[in-house]
Amino acid sequence: MGGVMSYFRGLFGAREMRILILGLDGAGKTTILYRLQVGEVVTTIPTIGFNVEQVEYKNLKFQVWDLGGQTSIRPYWRCYYANTDAIIYVVDSADRDRVGISRQELATMLQEDELQGAVLAVLANKQDIAGCLTETEVYKALGLDALRNRTIQIFKTSASKGEGLDAAMDWLANQLQQKK
Amino acid sequence: MTDSKYFTTTKKGEIFELKNELNSDKKEKKKEAVKKVIASMTVGKDVSALFPDVVNCMQTDNVELKKLVYLYLMNYAKSQPDLAIMAVNTFVKDCEDPNPLIRALAVRTMGCIRVEKITEYLCDPLRRCMKDEDPYVRKTAAVCVAKLHDMNPTLVKDQGFVELLNDLLSDANPMVVANAVAALTEMNDQQTVIEVNSQMVNKLLTALNECTEWGQVFILDALAGYTPRDERETQNICERISPRLAHANAAVVLSTVKVLMKLIDMMPADSDFITQLTKKLAPPMVTLLSAEPEIQYVALRNINLIVQKRPDILKQEMKVFFVKYNDPIYVKMEKLDIMIRLAQQNNISQVLSELKEYATEVDVDFVRKSVRAIGRCAIKVETSSERCVQTLLELIQTKVNYVVQEAVVVIKDIFRKYPNRYESIISALCENLDTLDEPEARASMIWIIGEYAERIDNADELLESFVEGFHDENTQVQLQLLTAVVKLFLKRPGVAQALVQRVLSLATQDSDNPDLRDRGFIYWRLLSADPAAAKNVVLTEKPLISEETDLLEPSLLEQLVCHIGTLASVYHKPPSAFIDPAKAPLRQINPIPTAKFGSSLLDTSSATNASRNGSAPTVIPSQDQVIADLLSLDLNAPATSANTGGYGASMSGTTSMGGLDDLLGLGGDSMPAAPAMASSNNPFDSLAGLGMPSAVPAAQQPASIGGLAEIFGSGGFGASSGYTHPKEMWLDASKAMGMQVEGTFVRRNGRISMEITITNRAMQAISEFALQFNKNSFGLIPVEQMDQSPILPNQSKNFTIVCDTSGPVQVTTPLTNLQVRLIYKM
Repeated sequence: MGGVMSYFRGLFGAREMRILILGLDGAGKTTILYRLQVGEVVTTIPTIGFNVEQVEYKNLKFQVWDLGGQTSIRPYWRCYYANTDAIIYVVDSADRDRVGISRQELATMLQEDELQGAVLAVLANKQDIAGCLTETEVYKALGLDALRNRTIQIFKTSASKGEGLDAAMDWLANQLQQKK
Repeated sequence: MTDSKYFTTTKKGEIFELKNELNSDKKEKKKEAVKKVIASMTVGKDVSALFPDVVNCMQTDNVELKKLVYLYLMNYAKSQPDLAIMAVNTFVKDCEDPNPLIRALAVRTMGCIRVEKITEYLCDPLRRCMKDEDPYVRKTAAVCVAKLHDMNPTLVKDQGFVELLNDLLSDANPMVVANAVAALTEMNDQQTVIEVNSQMVNKLLTALNECTEWGQVFILDALAGYTPRDERETQNICERISPRLAHANAAVVLSTVKVLMKLIDMMPADSDFITQLTKKLAPPMVTLLSAEPEIQYVALRNINLIVQKRPDILKQEMKVFFVKYNDPIYVKMEKLDIMIRLAQQNNISQVLSELKEYATEVDVDFVRKSVRAIGRCAIKVETSSERCVQTLLELIQTKVNYVVQEAVVVIKDIFRKYPNRYESIISALCENLDTLDEPEARASMIWIIGEYAERIDNADELLESFVEGFHDENTQVQLQLLTAVVKLFLKRPGVAQALVQRVLSLATQDSDNPDLRDRGFIYWRLLSADPAAAKNVVLTEKPLISEETDLLEPSLLEQLVCHIGTLASVYHKPPSAFIDPAKAPLRQINPIPTAKFGSSLLDTSSATNASRNGSAPTVIPSQDQVIADLLSLDLNAPATSANTGGYGASMSGTTSMGGLDDLLGLGGDSMPAAPAMASSNNPFDSLAGLGMPSAVPAAQQPASIGGLAEIFGSGGFGASSGYTHPKEMWLDASKAMGMQVEGTFVRRNGRISMEITITNRAMQAISEFALQFNKNSFGLIPVEQMDQSPILPNQSKNFTIVCDTSGPVQVTTPLTNLQVRLIYKM
């Protein structure tokens, strides 16, 4: 296996995988990004604009874009779709009221031509908060079961506690390597 | 196959390529691409379409790349205001960057991005940067506040940035203090955000000595806006800033001079301290004159102001203003100006010999100005007048065309100043009559001929030769010619009878120029009504002209002195005259409107008013004022003598807006329009009727000037209110269902009233009157309503309605037309 890995890295190692982290405001995108990058919880303020960081995971290099989730910024997400390998869509599982909006945004996004080949990892975040939606509930609420022709996986995570992120990244790394 | 294929291009083009490169994941390629974009941007290609892609390169640890992206942002953020929001987070992050240069860069760029939508997001990072540990970041943040204030003043106040800036004034770093004070001054220019107080002044004075030169300028500018509490504080400030006079930077010197000039004004004029300070002021300004010509010019323009304000500062320094052969022309001209201002009895001989030299140079403009300067010296220093006139004569003998013309113009002024002293040279002037081709010189010559018609034997022939080409002459020559011929006629009626009639008909019938026509009509009426009065008016003694010439209006000077060392002091215009009025500083020492500056006509009329009061001297106008001056040459004169005061007032009225008031004093005409029925009556009758002891309605003149002529004809208007023009029938009962209105206008105790008598010839009572004037030329409106008691059949009732002129003004034709609406109930 290790030999295969190095073979792949020899072929594609130069190219960084491009990952977008999207989701409504306050879902925890920036926290996830820095959790992935530095392995710590940083204090964040609402992202008006974007953050971009290099993240290394299991010897794979990712260029991770974290875009602001405010209503005013969502229209500009599409400026970042080109050449995207994977999308991490973050949902605040405790925010039952806005899960509908989140679903619409996701649906709109997935219709984009530029994203047809992108792998989608949905993170049902903030699982540490009591009374939140479960993984399955989020899956249904977002209407993921209706999606065809797309590699999708849903994970339950808690960015503040650092739970579930590794599983998601493992899956993503595998999927992206297989695609190559 | 449709034609749509023509609209879809397969060519990808430069932008597309750049876009790809910008999205490349190789850092080097990215940087190259951004450089290409910036290059395209600087040569003027529109690369705004790449905005999102360039913004995506913003988060980088490469400072060079970051700077380029920031440059791009400053340029295009305004054209992509919505997308600019994507840059906000990066700014926020960069403001916390460990590298102070990046923090400052971010905060500076933030200030330059003038996009309303993102300003609110930038407040927090800005606030943090104002408290930054690095002085460079703090001072950049201070400037950023001013930029933010320019965009959104309320935001700056609400977010407490003013207080933060105020705190920065006590900063340990003088550069921060200077920038903070610069920001505060700039904000104060738009609206007062913070008053400069004595604690602040102390901080500034402390920082002053340690600051860079430009910082010193900012601090001094701020100090100029401060009014010390008492004399001791004033002296203290003077002492602490006066060492700055020795600074090598001209801007620092001029700013220091500005502050000192202002402070000197606040101290008692005769104190020793002022004498000392004045002595200190001269050397630095002299030093400025040894700098490059451009700086010399700026210094000279400022010195020009200073000399007008306080001539004693530089009175000993005449020699430094002597023109050097290699001075550029603009420096020469300025120096000449200052030389004239500094000319005094003790240095006049030096000045004259210099000027004489200059008058033989080659540069035409310079020579002209030198000749003019000689004339000015003659007017200013009486003892030298003899020599000046002699010099001018010598110059005339050179027969150099433009020298002669200039000389004629100034000799006219010399004649005004010293009547009956140098008339012997008139013959020399007349010899050169043919060489005069400029309007001003011709007008001056004509004035001289008219003025001294009785001494010039062939005055009639000379003037006649001018009259030949009357219509080809410039307006000012025509006006002057008209006046001169009238003078000639009054002095020697025998020779000029035909000439005067010819000129009057030329002026009144064949001219399109209303000024000329008006003046023609006035003379005509004057001559036909009462030649003796005409003599009094036209040939009256003229007021002396003042010694100083081309002086700036005092309030303007006052204002400009506060702007020493700025463009305003170079232009000699208030800042509001040449910068966007929306952003013009509100700070004014004297709230005098700048309108005076633009309109020479207004200027002259105010000068006329002043001379009437006998206080201020009449100033020889600069070239552009000549027309107006020529107008008033004859007209303002009679105003000084009591017996013809009435004429003077009215006549000068015709040259200025004041004329409307005068007209108004005579009461507007009325055109009553009772229930939709109007009866027009003659405007001039009622005009003529007011304020005249013996009103005899005259034959009508074709224009409103006829009404004026009537006034002149009977004289003495405005002094009394004793006479009331009899009421006239405004509305006949047969036309208005039985209501008859008679009325007139009167002026009592300075107030205009409309007096009407309403007679009820109908079968039933009328009541509930309401009165309304249509918009008219004088803004005349009734200020009280009518008595409401009913008028019974066959009764009549008098009403007096007090009016004033505060209403809306709308020019009607004829000017004196007034429509009155009267509503009543039957």
